[in-house]
Amino acid sequence: MQLPALFKDARYFQIIFQSVFLCYGLFFLHWDNEAWLYVAYFITSLITQFICELVFGKKEAGVWQRYKKGIPSVLISSFGLSLLLKTNFLWVAVLAAVISILSKYIIRIKGKHIFNPSALGITVVVLVTGSAWISPGQWGSGVVILFGVLSLGFIVTTRVQKLDVSLAFLGTFAALLFARQIIYLGWPMDHFIQSVSTGSLLLFSFFMITDPRTTPNHSMARIVWSAAIAAVAFYLSAFKFMNGAPIFILVLAQPLVPVLDWLFKARKFEWSSSKKYTPQEERFLRTVYSRFVM
Amino acid sequence: MKKKILILGGFIALSPVLFSFCGFYVSKADGTLKNKTSQVILVRDGNKNVITMYNDFKGETKDFAMVVPVPVVLKKDNIKVVDQSIFQKLNDYSAPRLVEYWDQNPCYDYERKKQAEAADKSLNEVVVTSAYGIKRSARSVTVEAKYLVGEYDILILSAKESSGLKDWLNENGYKIPANAEEVLDPYIKSNLKFFVVKVNEKEKQKLNNNFLRPIQISFTSPKFMLPIRLGMANADGDQDLIVYAFTRKGRIECTNYRNANITTGKNIPLFVQKNFGAFYGNLFTQQWKNEDKSVAMLEYAWNVTPINQMKCDPCVGNPPTEQDLVQSGVWWLNGKDWSDYSDIDNDEPDDGNRNVHFTRLHFRYNRKSFAQDLMFQVTPNKENFQARYIITHPASGNFDCDAGRKYLQDLKQRRKKELQELTRLTGTDINNWQEDAMAKNDETENTGVQYATLIPEYKQDMENKSSAPAGIILLSITVLGAAGVMRWKGLV
Repeated sequence: MQLPALFKDARYFQIIFQSVFLCYGLFFLHWDNEAWLYVAYFITSLITQFICELVFGKKEAGVWQRYKKGIPSVLISSFGLSLLLKTNFLWVAVLAAVISILSKYIIRIKGKHIFNPSALGITVVVLVTGSAWISPGQWGSGVVILFGVLSLGFIVTTRVQKLDVSLAFLGTFAALLFARQIIYLGWPMDHFIQSVSTGSLLLFSFFMITDPRTTPNHSMARIVWSAAIAAVAFYLSAFKFMNGAPIFILVLAQPLVPVLDWLFKARKFEWSSSKKYTPQEERFLRTVYSRFVM
Repeated sequence: MKKKILILGGFIALSPVLFSFCGFYVSKADGTLKNKTSQVILVRDGNKNVITMYNDFKGETKDFAMVVPVPVVLKKDNIKVVDQSIFQKLNDYSAPRLVEYWDQNPCYDYERKKQAEAADKSLNEVVVTSAYGIKRSARSVTVEAKYLVGEYDILILSAKESSGLKDWLNENGYKIPANAEEVLDPYIKSNLKFFVVKVNEKEKQKLNNNFLRPIQISFTSPKFMLPIRLGMANADGDQDLIVYAFTRKGRIECTNYRNANITTGKNIPLFVQKNFGAFYGNLFTQQWKNEDKSVAMLEYAWNVTPINQMKCDPCVGNPPTEQDLVQSGVWWLNGKDWSDYSDIDNDEPDDGNRNVHFTRLHFRYNRKSFAQDLMFQVTPNKENFQARYIITHPASGNFDCDAGRKYLQDLKQRRKKELQELTRLTGTDINNWQEDAMAKNDETENTGVQYATLIPEYKQDMENKSSAPAGIILLSITVLGAAGVMRWKGLV
């Protein structure tokens, strides 16, 4: 029995989890008055992707073929925008989506795009247009259990190669916060817990910084790189009171990735094709698949 | 006499400021005073902050004292007293509103139109505290500055350790609640100063009025926050806080708690107008519980720029005038006034833009749900928002025509829906409203459609109906749908 594509390409899991988050926001946190915004992100992204394939795509396969292959990534970027970026203006939403997708095609070094599409789209529209913003408090902290469970599920089921990125980022950020809030300032524990259980922080750690295409290939370089992002983001949020610092710093740190890749040689990441399961894992997944899915 | 103190929270934080106000109060022996609702005006643009704290202390003014953490040692020019009425004006203007509409009798053609009328929830707050008096015997506590501003004697203290500060306050007659200590240390380590206020009896007598005016402070700090932790010292029970904020760019929102809009635009039964305050109080409590309590509830947001014509729709109270805004601390409307805060670094380019966006946030906090001070950000969100509830007066006259009979049918359905909305929104049992819903209060004489008749029918309907949460159903459908599509596409 052939293992289904779902298990080979972590992007499908990512899409499922992100859609659960969005549904949670829509139905439980009453974001329904923003539904138009999500529609705008998705439609614009899908159209932009198609145009980009027509214009920039490698001509080795038909446009439709290539377009279909890229759809999961487009959906992930659109979810990224939907879950983080707020605006009152349609043009800003369209601009963010266009920047996200377009950046994948035009800002590239050695066949790897440099910027995480949604992080770049968010950063540009927030900083340049001044008409969009990030709501760090939109998830509240009550949702931490949901996030914890789902994120864990995401990790366990997909065994994404780059989980180290999440852990290095979150670990460094939380350790610094702990040192400052609990050890130095002497706040009670629940003060610290509230800081690290923010939905936006967890989403960033598990679904944005992890994008394997825009992180260094070499595992040590990757860990140092994401810990450094955490340290700078911590400094900016604790001492400069900047909101959304991790996203902005991620965008700033991404041009370093080609440099790190050049310094530390390692195999380039490819979605799905490079994913190899060990025989044990494959057996496990097959069992799960045949018991629960078939 | 035993002296006690009111500590208003303070602003502050790791570095900047705000005050926490509405702090913990210590009531007198009879314990009848309750510290219920605090009000504060925040004005923010760039790194400049102006904060005005409402003082609704009732009692002997010599018993009043307040402690507010602030980020910097304030200069005398940065502290002033302002007219108390500004709070009432802002509250009246932005309070949740009840609007009314009139049905037309479909059997005649007459027009009766009326604009909305507002009912307002009054805020009652009592802050009790007590005496002030200073003995000079400080350990590790430095009096950084001492001012007389209006009717207040103001001291600015800095401390090196919380025990020293605690001792100082105790020795000088302030009784600090035991659990206030846990926040003194973090505040001191964050380099906050303590703004200590008492009433100067001599100056007070010159004023010849019997209330204490609000204190307004201004300072520059990148941190936009309101320290509420100090105010939670008497941790039993919930405290309400209303924040009125003015910015140049748009709404403010809370960054470390979830923001929710209060439910608005609902049709509710006519009889609610008799008791709108109770209705809104219940509605707020219900939604606050549903949203898990740790929430910043938006009650109002509007562009109140002086040249903007439509400052509310409908208006409940008079919109704030340019003078009111300047009084609240909106310095960019008044170059002259800005010179009062001349020592605030002018590090932000002033583009001369005179826009003013108003936000009203309502918090109900307690120690358990609010572990952190309130942090805010200014967003470019310029959308207007108001808490607005609609009642509809029935048509009167003779309904002896087809359209009239249909109207009565529709009215009956509509009123049942209103009853359902009422119980859903307020989380109260319909029986609680029976008194208000009596037939003599009803505007229609047709008993079949009176609320008093409909309530028993409504109860009957409810008993026969079981409802499943729509959210869960939708969520399941989405997930199943996605799985189905993937399977169909051969992905799974």
